[in-house]
Amino acid sequence: MDVELIINGEEKTASIPPETTLLKLLREEFYLTGAKTGCDVGDCGACTVLVDGEAVNSCLMLAGQLQGRSVETIEGLANLEDFHPLQKNFEDLGSLQCGFCGPGMILSAKQLLEENPEPTKQEIQDAIAGNLCRCTGYTKIVEAVADAAKEMREEP
Amino acid sequence: MRPFEFIKPDSEASAIELLGKLSPNVRILAGGTDYLVDLKHTADVPKTVMDISRLPELKGIDEVDDGLRIGAGVTHTEIMQNPLIKKYAPAMIHAAHTIGAVQTRNLGTIGGNLVTCVPSMDSGPTLVALDAEVNIVGKDGTRRISLTDLFVGPRKTSLKSNELLTEIIIPKRSLGKPANFYKFGLRKGQALALVNAASSLWIKGGCFKDLRISIGAVAPVVIRCLKAEKYLEGKKIDEKLVKEAGNIAVTEAKPIDDFRASQSYRNDLIAVLVTRTINAAIDLADKD
Repeated sequence: MDVELIINGEEKTASIPPETTLLKLLREEFYLTGAKTGCDVGDCGACTVLVDGEAVNSCLMLAGQLQGRSVETIEGLANLEDFHPLQKNFEDLGSLQCGFCGPGMILSAKQLLEENPEPTKQEIQDAIAGNLCRCTGYTKIVEAVADAAKEMREEP
Repeated sequence: MRPFEFIKPDSEASAIELLGKLSPNVRILAGGTDYLVDLKHTADVPKTVMDISRLPELKGIDEVDDGLRIGAGVTHTEIMQNPLIKKYAPAMIHAAHTIGAVQTRNLGTIGGNLVTCVPSMDSGPTLVALDAEVNIVGKDGTRRISLTDLFVGPRKTSLKSNELLTEIIIPKRSLGKPANFYKFGLRKGQALALVNAASSLWIKGGCFKDLRISIGAVAPVVIRCLKAEKYLEGKKIDEKLVKEAGNIAVTEAKPIDDFRASQSYRNDLIAVLVTRTINAAIDLADKD
């Protein structure tokens, strides 16, 4: 089947079998390997991307459901000049160790900051509850999201 | 995943028609947070998967003549953000918030949560405590049943293979009814309920009126605790009686013993959660 969708602002088309998940579509058709295959059952959040601005587990959507919709992956955040404030603050604080959870973590945080520019610590924790990190723990991740929120409020 | 055919009807009417034509070789995909996991791990893949997740008729939350109508395709996130739910059934917001994590709530639908019919579903108890009903559409028309009549067993409902659950109705008499939901899981995020519970009640002349108690994850389906309800109905508000109702509720459940928690621990939780939800609902109620 053919699917037309927007990925990181660009119109794309793919011919894929119906049983292809969004995650597989991104990784194997478009070589966007930022979204990771972790548990593949919606527990770990490593495959998180934004669909029409909402964080979803891309392993739990069929590519056919994406017809006409807009997907944002971690590859869409930075440009040649600069990182996204979330990426910068994750780097500055050393929030990630192996980095496997990073793309999902950052995209979950991005949805949060777009809806709520001044989140409390608890709201940040709630937003990333579906993203598991097994290396560093969550303290520096939560701090980086709070710092990025502050930075984005100051220079929108 | 094994191959299947994917179809996406563009209206409820065409979904019903296709369902009539293709059943039982078709399965319905809504939010997919449960069904996609199934599809990946089962050899029993249907010939066709029908995506109804974006059907406009299954969306929306509206005030209707007989109460509040919630489209079956409404996501848990949409429930959490809806002003009508906030006004008339705020306990549902709390219940929706306990489901999975943001990613699950952005995709998962309330209708899907109900028809998947796992005993620990977090949408169930509050809706049961509010006397919710569901509209089911098939090729012969629409039928309305009480939500408790939808639940048959673990992952089993009274839906026929050619029928679609389209709407949840919270009856007018339950709108604004003081209610509370409580979930106890091993963690706050991404955890199944060991026990969940909801209670709703009015207070009339200092006495319990139309008390409803519902518990989940401790019987084959979400149940109403009819004995505990009957024990308190019409009685004066009294902390000791509420505590006793919690103990009675335990006798109405049949919790399992598994790696998450023992049966006796779950029994203790039932008593505590039932007591807490009733007390919380009392706090919300007008005491005339």
